[in-house]
Amino acid sequence: MHGEASSALYTAEVVHWITLCVMGIVYTLRVLWLLRFKAGKDRSPAGGEGRTSAKKGAYYSLANAAMPWSMESTRRGWFFYLTFAVFHLGITCGIALAFISTLYRPFVEQPAVAWTFGTFTALAFLIGIGRMIRRLAVPVMRLISTPDDYFSLLMLTVWFLIGTVTQAHIAGASQFPQEGWVIAYLYLTSFFLLYVPFSKISHYLYYPFTRWYIGKALGHRGSYPVLRG
Amino acid sequence: MNPEATSLEEATTVEAEGQKDKAAIVEAESQEAGGAQAPSDKAQKLQELLATKLNRQVVGSLVGCIHCGMCHEACHYVLTHPDDPKMTPSYKADQLRKIFKANHDWTGRVFPWWVGANTPVTDEDLERLKDIAFGTCTNCRRCTYNCPMGVDTATLNRLMRGLLTSVGVMPEGVRVVSKDQWEIGNQMGVLKEDYVDTLEWMSEDLVAEVEDESATIPIDKTNCEIMYTINPREAKYDPRTIAKAAKIFWAADESWTMPSEGWDQTNFGLFSGDDQLGGTAGKRVYEKVQELNAKRLVISECGHGFRSTRCEAPNWSQTDVPFPMESSIFTMLNYIKEGRIVVDPNVCKERVTYHDSCNLARSCGIVEEPRELLRMTATDFVEMIPNRAENYCCTGGGGAMSMSEYTPRRLVSAKVKADQITATGATIVVTSCHNCVDGLADLIKHYKLDCRVAQLVDLVADALVLEECAVSKKKAALKPEAVRVLEGRRILVVDDEEDARTFLGTVLADAGATIIEATGGDEALELAKKENPDLITLDISMPGKDGVEVFRELRGSPDTAGMAICVVTGHPEFREVIYAASMDKPDGYMHKPVSPDDLVDGLRRILDLKEKKH
Repeated sequence: MHGEASSALYTAEVVHWITLCVMGIVYTLRVLWLLRFKAGKDRSPAGGEGRTSAKKGAYYSLANAAMPWSMESTRRGWFFYLTFAVFHLGITCGIALAFISTLYRPFVEQPAVAWTFGTFTALAFLIGIGRMIRRLAVPVMRLISTPDDYFSLLMLTVWFLIGTVTQAHIAGASQFPQEGWVIAYLYLTSFFLLYVPFSKISHYLYYPFTRWYIGKALGHRGSYPVLRG
Repeated sequence: MNPEATSLEEATTVEAEGQKDKAAIVEAESQEAGGAQAPSDKAQKLQELLATKLNRQVVGSLVGCIHCGMCHEACHYVLTHPDDPKMTPSYKADQLRKIFKANHDWTGRVFPWWVGANTPVTDEDLERLKDIAFGTCTNCRRCTYNCPMGVDTATLNRLMRGLLTSVGVMPEGVRVVSKDQWEIGNQMGVLKEDYVDTLEWMSEDLVAEVEDESATIPIDKTNCEIMYTINPREAKYDPRTIAKAAKIFWAADESWTMPSEGWDQTNFGLFSGDDQLGGTAGKRVYEKVQELNAKRLVISECGHGFRSTRCEAPNWSQTDVPFPMESSIFTMLNYIKEGRIVVDPNVCKERVTYHDSCNLARSCGIVEEPRELLRMTATDFVEMIPNRAENYCCTGGGGAMSMSEYTPRRLVSAKVKADQITATGATIVVTSCHNCVDGLADLIKHYKLDCRVAQLVDLVADALVLEECAVSKKKAALKPEAVRVLEGRRILVVDDEEDARTFLGTVLADAGATIIEATGGDEALELAKKENPDLITLDISMPGKDGVEVFRELRGSPDTAGMAICVVTGHPEFREVIYAASMDKPDGYMHKPVSPDDLVDGLRRILDLKEKKH
């Protein structure tokens, strides 16, 4: 942790790491909970005439997030896919910022890193606002949204904003001399880490399971990789 | 709770805002009720049953949805009901998700309102769920393919249907059809007598069409290569497809049979979500294949029938099926590839397009084989856009054709498919699914499209070049064998009538014999001594020395007494004269007119017997 940190910052950093441990524990329990449900066995004979297999389908399915051409919804909504990609890169940068700033701050003080992290968190912030507007304005999105959906998005959007400012502060672009932004960002990240396992944001934990199983099932039957004209 | 909230009228006329408000009110009412009321027996039972249906795949799909809305435009109901947000797949799946969260998810149990957890309370709630699960989704799986998380919404919807069915909440049509499948053994309630009658009727038609007594439909024949199963719709409404399939099997010289029971490959368990029915229906077919000791099961062109029988019923019935199962698409295609049948693509010159059945394309990976077959049987094939796994549902799937209360909504949703078909300019829409046939025929009529529906079996059967198929080749191959049976034999044909001599001489010469002809009795006796033939065919009624006298002299002379003689006469009254005489009897007797096969066969047998005696 940063050697010259103030006691407030130090406390924020400690809390931050503790919440990470808590999140790890809760996630472990989540995965164990999911594994408690027996996986359905497919007794049907393999389809696909040797073109594909359960394993091939599963791997293809796991790579889905990186293959926007594989789904009609992402081919047609390429801008939406782009925002998805940037949004998630923003999350990656935000998390990296939180952890690296407590471990080795000089790294995030480097201009290239600062610009990269700052740009992605800033873009993610804008996308977050756009998504919030979409969720509030589009009837179907409003219909399917739960308070958790709104709160998770709001929390992330604010987190991106604070993250962007924090990155600017760390990089020396901010005029505020205090560590306030960093402390605020770390506490927000801590809350984020605590809340995530109980919210929809934990979807990335389930992604490998859902995609693996659907890919395996459809690959076994010969339908995955997707057969389109 | 307002059970009318999802009616077609509202779905198509109320503005988005209104819909949203109504949905919010419904949700609020439901939540309010949930807090104040004890659930009805059915609602309680439904929640208890959910626990028994959960496996890792299902739970993954229940917790994996992020409400991103990506599935929205994948659904044909959404595209045709743009003002009704409740048509979106995630909303439909959320109905089950809410119950799951309320009962099985940590956050849902502690803060239900926060994550939208909720449970049905009244029977009206269940009716509302029924309208969503059965009336706004055909389980086509298109949304599943468009979900970035891999959430299988179609499976969740089927699970919801199954839970509702388990507590007796289902559309009347589903109830009736399920009952027929449980009790009569097929989903259309076709009685065994009617079914067998239909097969016999089709059999007779086919025999008459191809003029071959062997072209019958074998019923319950054991030890065949193939047991062929059908959709009850074929027996009840469109038996021509049975006759056409039979024609193809006959042309391919296949060893096949149809069972008198266990012939329904369809499975309403897939539509109602009733795994028990699904397993039972599947097992009936499996057991029949084993009982008849058929080597493999061929499933006629039926999307859900194929998916149920081959892919799902082994799981529902917990059976490891020990024999191969294939769609008749593959059977027909393989016949062509193996040269067992030959087809002429020029028979169908109309523009054809192909509609991919959801069950075949998205759930069973069958997309290229039907196209391969289509290109072999039609000259002008155009693709529908989109196609294959991205094709839109015919809108008749998921049992929708049996739920008349949702027909108006179904036909509105069919606009997507109607537009797809129109864009191809095709006059024939080919599909490999009976549900699709009905769904497409219905929308073609509704939208007044200038085209008709056909199946691959229609195209293949119509395009058959019978003389080049295996059955004809086999017959041709048998003929040379018949020719050879008299090879090396010398036969004296005795007849005063030229026509008769020509006929007998030609047939016997075709069978390999060397022919010597005599036009009367004296000539016959002279040639018999001179040529010493292996056999004499002897006419009785001849001018001058008749056949009876010739016979007596031949038997009386030591040189000719042992000659094989077969009387061939148009006067049966003379038979007694010969047989009453106190001398050796002729070796054979035939009555004119005699068929070529009988003649050759008869003479061969006489010669064989004669050889054995010596």
